[in-house]
Amino acid sequence: MDKQLELLQGTLDMLILKAVSLGPLHGYGILLRIQQVSKDRLEIQQGSLYPALYRLEHQGWITSEWGESENNRKAKYYRLTATGKRRLQTETEQWNRMAEVIAGILKTRPEEL
Amino acid sequence: MTVRARIRSWLFAVLQRSRVEHDMDAELKFHIQMYAEDLERGGVKQEEALRRAHIEFGAVERMKEECREARGVSLLQSLVQDLRLAARVLRKSPGFTAVAVITLALGIGANAAIFSVVDAILLRPLPYPQPAQLVRLWEDAPSRGYFRNVVNPYNFMDWQDNSKSFQSMAAITGQMTNLSAQGQPIAVAGMQVSPEFFSVLEVPPFLGSTFTSDEGFAGHDQVVILSYGLWQRQFGRNAAIVGQKVDVDGVPHTVIGVMPRGFSFPKMKAEVWTPLPLARTDDWKDGRYLTVVARLKPGVTLEQARQDMLRVGNLTAEARPENNKGWGAEVVPMLEDATQGVRRPLWILLACVGFLLLIACSNVANLLLMRGAGRLREMAVRSALGASRVRLIQQLLVESLLLALAGMAAGLTVAQLGLHSLLALIPQNAPLPRSEPITIDGPVLLFSFFAALLTSIVFGLVPALRLSRVDLQDALKQGSSRGGVGGHQALRRCFVVAEVALALLLSVGAGLMLRSFSRLIAVDPGFRTEHLLTMHIWTSPSHYSDDHKRSAYFERILTEIRNSPGVHAAGSTHFLPLTDSVSRSCFAPGDGPPPTPSESPSSQYLITSPGYFSAMGIPLLKGRDFEARDSFDAPQVAIVNHAFVERYFPEQNVVGKQLWVCWTFKKPVDIIGIAADARQAELQATPEPTIFLSNSQVPMYFATLVVRAEGDPKQIARAAEEAIHRVDPDQAVSDVRSMEDVFSDSVSSPRFEAVLLGVFAALAIALAIIGIYGVVSYSVSQRTNEIGIRMAMGARSPDIARMVLRETLTLAGIALLVGFGSSVALSRVLESLLFEVRPTDALTLLSAGCAIVAVSVLASVLPARRAAKVDPMTALRYE
Repeated sequence: MDKQLELLQGTLDMLILKAVSLGPLHGYGILLRIQQVSKDRLEIQQGSLYPALYRLEHQGWITSEWGESENNRKAKYYRLTATGKRRLQTETEQWNRMAEVIAGILKTRPEEL
Repeated sequence: MTVRARIRSWLFAVLQRSRVEHDMDAELKFHIQMYAEDLERGGVKQEEALRRAHIEFGAVERMKEECREARGVSLLQSLVQDLRLAARVLRKSPGFTAVAVITLALGIGANAAIFSVVDAILLRPLPYPQPAQLVRLWEDAPSRGYFRNVVNPYNFMDWQDNSKSFQSMAAITGQMTNLSAQGQPIAVAGMQVSPEFFSVLEVPPFLGSTFTSDEGFAGHDQVVILSYGLWQRQFGRNAAIVGQKVDVDGVPHTVIGVMPRGFSFPKMKAEVWTPLPLARTDDWKDGRYLTVVARLKPGVTLEQARQDMLRVGNLTAEARPENNKGWGAEVVPMLEDATQGVRRPLWILLACVGFLLLIACSNVANLLLMRGAGRLREMAVRSALGASRVRLIQQLLVESLLLALAGMAAGLTVAQLGLHSLLALIPQNAPLPRSEPITIDGPVLLFSFFAALLTSIVFGLVPALRLSRVDLQDALKQGSSRGGVGGHQALRRCFVVAEVALALLLSVGAGLMLRSFSRLIAVDPGFRTEHLLTMHIWTSPSHYSDDHKRSAYFERILTEIRNSPGVHAAGSTHFLPLTDSVSRSCFAPGDGPPPTPSESPSSQYLITSPGYFSAMGIPLLKGRDFEARDSFDAPQVAIVNHAFVERYFPEQNVVGKQLWVCWTFKKPVDIIGIAADARQAELQATPEPTIFLSNSQVPMYFATLVVRAEGDPKQIARAAEEAIHRVDPDQAVSDVRSMEDVFSDSVSSPRFEAVLLGVFAALAIALAIIGIYGVVSYSVSQRTNEIGIRMAMGARSPDIARMVLRETLTLAGIALLVGFGSSVALSRVLESLLFEVRPTDALTLLSAGCAIVAVSVLASVLPARRAAKVDPMTALRYE
């Protein structure tokens, strides 16, 4: 298995938004989904997920309600709100632009200058 | 949208705190369980799975704290939490809490008490509509040293006619009034006012009506308005009183109104108001005696009014130069005028209690630091559990706040008691600048609250900053509670130096005031105060308008009194000494031209009866007193005092010379004697040149009788009053007081200031003793080990005691330097309040300094003895 990458500062929020944009999930589910999609290459401290969730909810980007989990337990499900959707969109665009720029810089060779 | 969501989540969190907490618990638990189950499915044993799930999840409590913070409710919630914790912590150390709360209660209480006085007298607006428009108008003659002088009636009428800045303007004279209610004469304070008076103040009557402009004139002036208090006392709150007749000075007057409760005019007492029938007749031509109040037109500034009155003043000076040359008009805001003379002392007192509060603060800060040393582990544990530094500071500040609030609650009780005794220092019948009650009311509560808030920050912040800076490793590793607090000691010494310096400053202030006060009451007034009774008489003009009749009346009552049992001597004067009243008249040598008010010198004059000097115990230096032969029709005579001779006729024999006196005489009078100097207006002022005229020849409408008793003057009061009523039962007597009371009341404000400063200084010193004791004994306990080593190395007990005392004296020495420096720097502030004492008075500074050193040594005696008794073996084993 590849060595796990540490999460870049500030990217957890974006990943959470993306994860819940695919459908309502509880906290543990969000963690699993991120790990599944990233093929376990990202290291996320489990506990740190929750302050982030509370922050996003406080900002109105996600909303929560209690529901039944797959094994019939009570679990809190998070869903993306309309503002959250817009937020995710802008964050994604920003991220892509940033990644492009940075990649461009890193690819630069001496003779191109 | 977002804002709404935020508020909703915040509200939800605040309102349903327990539910949110419960949800959070459930959510995190769910996560850990799910993970553990997944691990189990992967083949891990159940217990191991749960353990690993917990570890990989991270610190649950910390995450929860971060979640709470993410919600943005943590401040409020943690505040509540901190308050609970603080209450528990404070309850757990009752000794510390009690000392801190008592210290703060003294500081805050003293401040609240003084502030309630400052607020009631200086800050509260005057109790009239649009009080800022109200001004007092005075005459002044700066070149002759007259400021804020009462006003000549003709000039007042000129002002009324020619000024443009005022909506209206009213004139007032205050006088005693004889009122007959149910046949019994009573003397009440009254005011004669021009009809505009009530409309200037814009106060409507409680019953009936106030004066209309008609009622200022002859024929319409038999009307009277009563105060609420008088109406209640004498007329049983009978609303039908309006329209009825009441005898005022022997003449039936119709009651037209009753003023509302609490209506008053600053510095003048009055229970009845009658019209002042001003007119341009000879009656009103001379003299200056009107008090004038006016209301500015809306939008007119004080400066515009001053310019306006400058112009009007010039007009009056041109119209009647013989009376007005050199005189102009002064415009002063009414509140400023009312509080003149009390502003400075009150602000100084407030500053002094402020210092007292600072001392209390540094004491409590020291207590907190001292106690904080024992709480380092608590801080360390909290910080290890995830509390940030800000959070620790917050908790410590909340504790301080709780202390301050407890101190405020206790302080308000202190203030209530203090205010009670403070107001008892003010003489009962003193004409206060403000008549509104001085109580612990809304503004005072608000002030105390902010004082407590500020206080908690002042004394709490430094300890909180210090204590929250925990070195985790150190604090947890060292089992001893004494770890890592060495730095605090220096800080605590700074606090002690500051408070001792402040205590010195207050002691110097108190010392100066006390010394000044003792100088003041040691002043020889020039007359003998003991065994002397004084009483005021006002003769009703309707019965005694004839000068001759009035003169005979006064002679008869004096004779009756002299014949009463227990009376040694009796006389009268129109202004009693030490009552702040002055009358002046122009004069000129009898061999020259007659004097004019604007050109000639003026001197104080007093209208006294025969026997006044002997009753007062004022020696006659030369010549003779007024006698029976100086009757109303006899040649007119005068007596002058020693200061008069010194100033105007030095080294001349004035007895036998003649003098023009503007007051009343149309031709020069003979000087028949010279009296020794006595203090007149106030004890502070050296005797002025004075001319005495005989009450038999130029009787006033009023007089204060001075009766020398053989024993206790109050014993003869009744007999004297009966003697007066034997002559005329309709004449009321008022202000029956012993001269000793008059004397004591006349120095009531310096006494007030001296007593208060003395109390503040005593409290300051007491707090400083506690402060020094605390710091030194703590330092001794910290150095037990060192002391043990020193003793083991051969130091003896006295050496150790000396070492401790040296530490104290060093602190006291620095404090003395700081304190003396600041008291010299602040000396100018007190200067105007001091009588014959310089603010840098060496004796006072020296004794205050000695007192501070003495109490410092006193405070460190116990710790020093404890240090000297240290057993080296125990001390060394202790570590």
